[in-house]
Amino acid sequence: MQIKTHSIDHRDISYPPGGILLWIIIILELVTFGLGIGGLVYYGNLETELFHTSRLMLNAPLGMLNTLVLLVSGYFMADTVAKLKSWEMEASKRSLLLTMLGGLVFVGLKSWEYYEKLSSDIEMADNMFFTFYWLLTGFHLAHVLVGLVILLVIWINMKSKSMAVELADVESGAAFWHMCDLIWLLLFPALYLVF
Amino acid sequence: MKNENLFTLSVLIGLTLTTALIVSFWGDSRLLSLMVMGIAGVKFYLVAFEFMELRKAHVFWKIATIMVGMLVVIVVGMSF
Repeated sequence: MQIKTHSIDHRDISYPPGGILLWIIIILELVTFGLGIGGLVYYGNLETELFHTSRLMLNAPLGMLNTLVLLVSGYFMADTVAKLKSWEMEASKRSLLLTMLGGLVFVGLKSWEYYEKLSSDIEMADNMFFTFYWLLTGFHLAHVLVGLVILLVIWINMKSKSMAVELADVESGAAFWHMCDLIWLLLFPALYLVF
Repeated sequence: MKNENLFTLSVLIGLTLTTALIVSFWGDSRLLSLMVMGIAGVKFYLVAFEFMELRKAHVFWKIATIMVGMLVVIVVGMSF
């Protein structure tokens, strides 16, 4: 594996770590989820009791565990980039694998949570709280799955001896993965804890 | 760098466990949403500035990210 690096000054407004296009997406995604959470709060204030009883039907400990899983996965993602910058290829690949493992555990736990809800006949159309629950967590899960595909492509490139890996590409993949963390850090307390 | 990230992870895990304790002890307090969202805001900052290396970026990206994150924290935290 070869690493292609370019000297980039991240202090330049056009070159944030991960690339300007990805950062535009990150800001837009945060605004979009922020509006979704804003809608949740708005309807929550209209139907306080309903939102409270519905919130109590969610599995908060499982959500907390998923938060820890994503944070640890985010640590390994940051470690992947750090190791790549210090030319520790094998350690970098190992960290990326652990990042993806964390993502898979998150998907597994989320699938279990969805299975629990569907087994209890809790669906999107039940009430406004569960409409927000399914939409917001579902869109977030879709982002995690896309992130996993991006990381898998990067990992395959890193494993292949004939392919060169751009550090900037790995940084972009990392920024996307951390975006999933950021969204979850706002989504989890808003949905599972405060109502 | 490795130690910095490990320290950040420890703080993030500590804050997550603190959130769990706060929710267990102050389950029905009006301050709950403020405290929980405040902690979420700190975690948001740590992931953005440490893991995503936003501290190395131009001030525009720092302000844009923090503004969006804090807006959500304030809207949710102050609404109950």
